[in-house]
Amino acid sequence: MATAAAPTAPPPAGLPPAGPAGRTPPAGRRRAPARGGLRRWISEQRTPAAMRLSLALLVILSLAWGGLGAWTVAQHSSAASSLAHTDEPSSFYAQQLYLNIAQADVTITTAFLTVAQPVAPGAAMPSTLQAREKFEADLASASHDLAAIQGSSTSAAFSKDVASIASGLATYRGDVASAESQYSDDDIPAGDSFMEVASEDAHLTLLPSAQDIYRIENDAVAGSKGQATSLLTLLIAVVVAVGALLALLRVQRWLARRTRRVLNLGLVLATTALVISVGWLAVTFGIANSDLSTAIGQGANPAQSLAQASIDIQQIRGDSILNVIARSGTTTLQADSAAQQANVHSLLGGALAAGNGQASPAIRAAMAATPSWYAANAKGYTDASTYDFSGEQGYVDSAASGYSGLEADVSDALRASQATFTSQADTGASAFGPLEAIVIVAAVLMAAASAWGMSRRLAEYR
Amino acid sequence: MGIAGIGLATACGTAASAADGPAAAPAATSQNATSQNATSPSGTISEAGSTLLEPLMQKWATAYHQQYPGATVNVASPGGGSTKGITDAENGSVAIGASDAYLSSGDLLQHPSLLNIPLAVSAQSVIYNLPSLQGTHINLNGMVLAGMYNGSITTWDDPAIRALNPGVSLPPTRVVPVHRSTGSGDTFIFTSYLSTQDPAWSQHVGYGTQVAWSPLATAQAVSSSTTMISTCARFAGCIGYNGISYLPLEQAKGLGEAALENSRGNFEIPSATTIDAELNDFVGITPDNETISMIAGPAPGGYPIINFEYAIVTTSQPSAGRATAVRDFLNWVVSSSSALSLVGSVGFQPLPGDVRQLSLDQIARIH
Repeated sequence: MATAAAPTAPPPAGLPPAGPAGRTPPAGRRRAPARGGLRRWISEQRTPAAMRLSLALLVILSLAWGGLGAWTVAQHSSAASSLAHTDEPSSFYAQQLYLNIAQADVTITTAFLTVAQPVAPGAAMPSTLQAREKFEADLASASHDLAAIQGSSTSAAFSKDVASIASGLATYRGDVASAESQYSDDDIPAGDSFMEVASEDAHLTLLPSAQDIYRIENDAVAGSKGQATSLLTLLIAVVVAVGALLALLRVQRWLARRTRRVLNLGLVLATTALVISVGWLAVTFGIANSDLSTAIGQGANPAQSLAQASIDIQQIRGDSILNVIARSGTTTLQADSAAQQANVHSLLGGALAAGNGQASPAIRAAMAATPSWYAANAKGYTDASTYDFSGEQGYVDSAASGYSGLEADVSDALRASQATFTSQADTGASAFGPLEAIVIVAAVLMAAASAWGMSRRLAEYR
Repeated sequence: MGIAGIGLATACGTAASAADGPAAAPAATSQNATSQNATSPSGTISEAGSTLLEPLMQKWATAYHQQYPGATVNVASPGGGSTKGITDAENGSVAIGASDAYLSSGDLLQHPSLLNIPLAVSAQSVIYNLPSLQGTHINLNGMVLAGMYNGSITTWDDPAIRALNPGVSLPPTRVVPVHRSTGSGDTFIFTSYLSTQDPAWSQHVGYGTQVAWSPLATAQAVSSSTTMISTCARFAGCIGYNGISYLPLEQAKGLGEAALENSRGNFEIPSATTIDAELNDFVGITPDNETISMIAGPAPGGYPIINFEYAIVTTSQPSAGRATAVRDFLNWVVSSSSALSLVGSVGFQPLPGDVRQLSLDQIARIH
C-alpha cells in the first residue's frame, strides 16, 4: 500500500524549500500516521497537484452549498407562499362552499316552513321573497366557491366531489322550485315532501361532497404547513455550509504552511461570502418561521376549528329543521344534533386556547350563546316526540335569533383568525425575499474567489 | 343487466305483455315451470310492513312462486305496519319492507343506502258504520273529518255533515273516531289530507305516521288495518280510515265508504278512474327517488287521498344472491303482466309508465 512507503519516500524533485508539511522526517524516526485519509492523501501529493485538488474541492463545495441552500430556500419560500396564497385560501373557499350550501338549505327550508303555517283569515301570507333572494345568493356564492377551488387538487376523489356538487346544485334548485310550486298551491304535504327531497339532496349529496373537499383542502394546508416550517432540509444545507467553511479554513492553513503566505485573498473572500450567506439564511429562516408559526398557531389552526364549529352549527340547525318536516318519529336527527353540540363545544374551546386576542371576545360570546340555543333546539325535539307539531314549528321561529347570533359570533371570530393568518403568513412568506438569489450569488462568488485564490498560488508556484 | 338480460333472451318467442320492459326478465321468461333454467329467479326473501299492501303482497308472492318454483317470498302476516316495514328494512331483518309512507329524511340520513321504490298506486277509504245508510256514499270533507276527530263534531246529524249531504237522513248516532295506535302509513296519509283541508288541524295537530290525537272518550285506537275493520264494525257511528285493498272486507262487514271532497270541491269515491285522474298531475313531477306526497291534487275528478305503496330496500344487500333475488322479484312486481293483473284485484292501480321507469332505475341500483 502507498501509505506504507510514504514515510520513507524521498522528496520529489523540483520542490521549493520544504516547509513543515514538506519536511523529510529524520532518518530512523517514523512519521506519525495521518489521521484522515483525505488529509494523508493530500499530504502525499505533490503540492501543485494538491492545490489543484483543493481548488476543485472548494469549487464543488461552494456550488453544492449554493445549490442546496437555494433549493432549501426555494422549497420553504414556495411552501410558505403556497400556504399563504393557495392552500389556505382554497381551504377557506371549501369551507365557504359548505357554509353557503348549508345556509341556503336552512334559509329556504325555514322560509317555506313559515309559509306552510296557516294564516289568520284576511291576513297576508308571509313573503318568502327575501329568503328566496338570500337562497339564490347563497347558491351563487357556492358556485363561485366551487369555481375558485376547481383546480386546487388533482385527486380523483376531489374531482368526483366537485362534479357531484356541480350537478347536484342544479337538481337541488329544481327540487326546491317544485316544493315552492306545491306550497304556492297550498298543498303543504306535497311541498314538504319536495323539501324533504331537496334537503336530502343537500344533506346526502351536496354537503358530504363539500365536507370531503374541505378535508382534502385541509390536508393540503397541513402538508404546506409542515413543509414551510420543516427544519430538515435547512439542517442539511447548514451541514454542507459548515463543511465548506471547514474546507476553506483547512486549505488556507495548509497553504500558509506550504507557501509561507499567510493570507490568500480569494479564499478569504470566499469565506466571507459563505459566512454572510449562511448568516442571512439563518436570520431569514428565524424570522419566517416565527411569523409562520404565529400565522398557523393563532390564525390557521383556530380558523380551522372555528370553520368546523360553524359547519357543525349549520348541521345542528339543519337537523332541527329537517326534523320538523320529516315527521317520522325517529330520533336520528336529535342524536346527530347532540353529537354536533359536543363537537362545537370542543372546537370553540380549542380556538379560544389558541390565544388570538382579536378573535377571543367573539369566541367567548359564542360559547356563552350556545346553552340557550341548545335549549331551544331541545324544546323542538321534545315537541316532536310528543307529536306537538304546532310547538315544533314554533321552534323554527323561536330558535332563529339564537342561531343567527351564534353564527354571527363564530363568523366574527373566524374573520379575525383568518386576518391574523393572512397578515402573518404574508410577512413570513415575504421574509425570504431575495435570499435565494443571495445564496446563489454568494456560492458563485465563493467558487470564483476560491478558483482565483488557488490559481494565483499555483501561478506563483511555477 | 345480469340475469335480467339473460332472462329476456330466453323469453324470445314467449308471450311477453306490452307492460314488460327491458328489465322485466322474470315476467318475460316462460311461465311453464318445466322450462325453468339457470336464469330463472330463485332463492327465498322475506317481506314485512304495511298492512295495506299485505293482501296484494300475498297474492304476488303466491303467483311469483307458482311461476318460479325456485323462488319464494315470505310475507309476514300481519305485516306490522309501515313503520315496522321501514325499521325492519333498516336493520336488515327483512329483504323488503313495505310502507305506505315514503322514507323520512331522518331515516335516510341514518341509512343513506335505503331506497323507497313504488310498486303500485293505492288510495285510502274513509269508512263509517251507519247501518241505516247502507249502500249510500255519504259526502265528507277534511274540515268535517277533522271536526269528528278533534271532538267538535260529536254526532252524525251535525249541521256540518248535513250541509254536505242534502237529502240524506243522517241519524243522531254518536261519532266514534277510530285511529291507529302505532306508527302507520295510513295515519300519515289520512292526517296529510286533513292538514291540506283544515288550517286549524294543520296548525295544531299536523300530519305524521303518529300524531297527538285528541283524547276523546269515544275514540278508539287500533293496531292494524284488520282491527280497524273489526272495531268499526263493532261500534255504530264509527268513522275510520283504511287502505282501499280492505274494501271488500269492509263491505262484507256492512261498512260504508265516504265520497271525499277534492280540492276542486267535487266529491269522489276511490275508483280506477278517480285514482288515475288524481295521479296524472303528479307523474311528471315525481322526483328520481320517488319521494312524493300526492294528497289533494288539483284534478277536478280526482280522489284526494292516493299514495304510492313503497318497497323499502337497501341498495347494499348482504350477498349477491339476495340482491339478485330482490331485484328479480321487484322487477317482476313492477313490470310483469302476471303481477300487474293482480294489482286491480285489491283496488290498487299499476304504476304509470314514467314512474315505473323510475322504479326500475332504482331497482337496478340494488347490488
